[in-house]
Amino acid sequence: MPTRALVTSYADDLKLFPDMWHRVGLVVFILLGLSFPLLANDYWLSIANNALIAVVAAVGMMILTGFAGQVSMGHAAFLALGAYTAAIAGGTFGLPFWLCLPLAGLVAAVIGLMVGPFALRLEGLYLAIVTIGLLFLVEHLLRNGLEVVFGKDYLSVPMHTWFSAGGDELGSFRQPWSFAGMTLSPDQKLYLLFGVLALGTAYLGKNIARSNAGRAMMAVRDRDLAAAVLGVNPAQTKFVAFGISSFLAGVAGAMYAFAHPVLTLEPFNIKMSIEYIAMVVLGGVGTIFGAVWGALVYTVFQPLAEMLGSVLPFPQSFSSEQQAILLFFPLLCFFLMFEPLGLLGIWLRIKRYFLAWPFRY
Amino acid sequence: MQEFLQYLISGLALGALYALVALGFVVIYRASQVFNFAHGELLTFGAVLMVWLNSPPQVGELGLGSVSVDGLGLPWGVALFLSMLVTGAVAAAIERFALRPLVGRPIFVAIIITLFIGFILRTFVMLIWGNDAMPILTPWDSMGSFELAGAMLDYNSLAAIAAAAVLFVSFGLMIRFTRLGILMRAISSDQETSLALGIPVGRILGLTWFIAGAFAAVSGIFLGVRDYSVDLNLGFVALRAFPAVIVGGLDSALGAVIAALILGVLEVLTAGYVNAELGAFGKNFHMVLPYVVMIFFLVFKPYGLFGTKKVERL
Repeated sequence: MPTRALVTSYADDLKLFPDMWHRVGLVVFILLGLSFPLLANDYWLSIANNALIAVVAAVGMMILTGFAGQVSMGHAAFLALGAYTAAIAGGTFGLPFWLCLPLAGLVAAVIGLMVGPFALRLEGLYLAIVTIGLLFLVEHLLRNGLEVVFGKDYLSVPMHTWFSAGGDELGSFRQPWSFAGMTLSPDQKLYLLFGVLALGTAYLGKNIARSNAGRAMMAVRDRDLAAAVLGVNPAQTKFVAFGISSFLAGVAGAMYAFAHPVLTLEPFNIKMSIEYIAMVVLGGVGTIFGAVWGALVYTVFQPLAEMLGSVLPFPQSFSSEQQAILLFFPLLCFFLMFEPLGLLGIWLRIKRYFLAWPFRY
Repeated sequence: MQEFLQYLISGLALGALYALVALGFVVIYRASQVFNFAHGELLTFGAVLMVWLNSPPQVGELGLGSVSVDGLGLPWGVALFLSMLVTGAVAAAIERFALRPLVGRPIFVAIIITLFIGFILRTFVMLIWGNDAMPILTPWDSMGSFELAGAMLDYNSLAAIAAAAVLFVSFGLMIRFTRLGILMRAISSDQETSLALGIPVGRILGLTWFIAGAFAAVSGIFLGVRDYSVDLNLGFVALRAFPAVIVGGLDSALGAVIAALILGVLEVLTAGYVNAELGAFGKNFHMVLPYVVMIFFLVFKPYGLFGTKKVERL
């Protein structure tokens, strides 16, 4: 019996689970995810919620940057658009959450598709710079637009309703929900909801990666001219990548709005865009596995760095964020230099070692 | 008219500083096809270093919101020179230790690593010197100005224009006539052939980065002088110099300088005349104007004023 599934046909290459162990891994991962809210305290639960938001946006980033090879520095702009769309739709128009979410995605996707024509003409660097410009323009328009309409550039997000405005126990995210002898706190409910969304996004990303659309993106990334010769339409492919990526960023923005009662423009700056690039790089460019783990590890690292800070010889004046940057970004640079596949590369190496054991290779 | 002349000088001064920043980008881009996103943080680093070297030890409170800087008190010229030297060395170190190992890897990786290094550098500056605004001293009266044809011209703007002009001319002469300039041009045209001809490509690349770093220090210092103080957000000006680089054409030094001057003047004129016309959306509109111009250029003339058109070959 072979130690792993041999790829003997095209259909094997498209399988969601190449062998039994992938299934087992996923089940274990989901079980761990389900048990987490019961074990963690509120602090770690809120971090986990942020991590799940980051997973959704990082999958979007991965589709654009990792699959289609378009470096975008404007991811934060799409998150901001999604967040404010959700806040306005939920707060001013009283739409329930399940409607706000796709609406936020759609608004971001429309703006993303408007950038599409630039993306078709530009490559690499030019696109990165244009998307920085886009980020500043969106911020300017949002800030001043909100000043005009609401007289302030922050919004409170009162949309803690799920299906309707009626605050029954299940529908409201402000009240705990008792069910079959268990009581779920609002944060736990949010965690489960976000978990489902993140899992769904990862599944969507995985399906794109293993289907026609994803392979077209990768062909365009690797050599757009050769891809065009082979019958892939680079323009259309980049367009699709931009649309999907900004849709997911918009959804993540809506989730962000949902998790934060007061929404300001401050967090949606260029730093956030860089952080999403960092997550993609950390996880390993070009795979959904990388996007998910990059986002999870990156988000959880900052509180960890805070805890490590008391052990490491840092002066007292360092904030936790600064400690995280100083520990983390040099590490990321090393990843870029020596482990281009990121966490995935390390995982593959460990796996290969045990597969070949007792031989070295 | 006097108002216009004043805006013009102020815009030219801003444009000259944008041009210095843009030149730093273009020099590095031409040498190694890398867009150095850490450049903005090099500006901040140079300016903050200058303040620290130049401020007398234990100065008292200096005006509103400023904090006292316990500096070394070196003479202004010496501090400027040292700041250029150290910032250049930092830039060269970035090239040597972060980008040299990436030779042969996709350019995308090199660009991302400069982003991360900028992040790290920013945090270091924050840790060493704090993130308060620090007053920057000048040998001339920094509030002073003189009257020309009814317009008040301030010394700070004139100094910025003069400094930028000196650097442009000396850089132009260097690139055209000296041995180093010829080597730099050789590398930017073809690295492999240069290697085959026995040019020490690595060393010249390091020197190129050094020069770009020194330029960054000067532009950072004069940007600080323009606002009378230096803080950590100084580096964000580099983000506003991007449009100049694009409008000028990514690989043209002259184009970047011309575009930067135009954009600088446009920005100040917009702040003076247009912002008020736009109503609610006019607030800080001049800050995003360069991006609007840039996007127009990218739609209609993607290779900028003087850039070389890229030819696809299989």
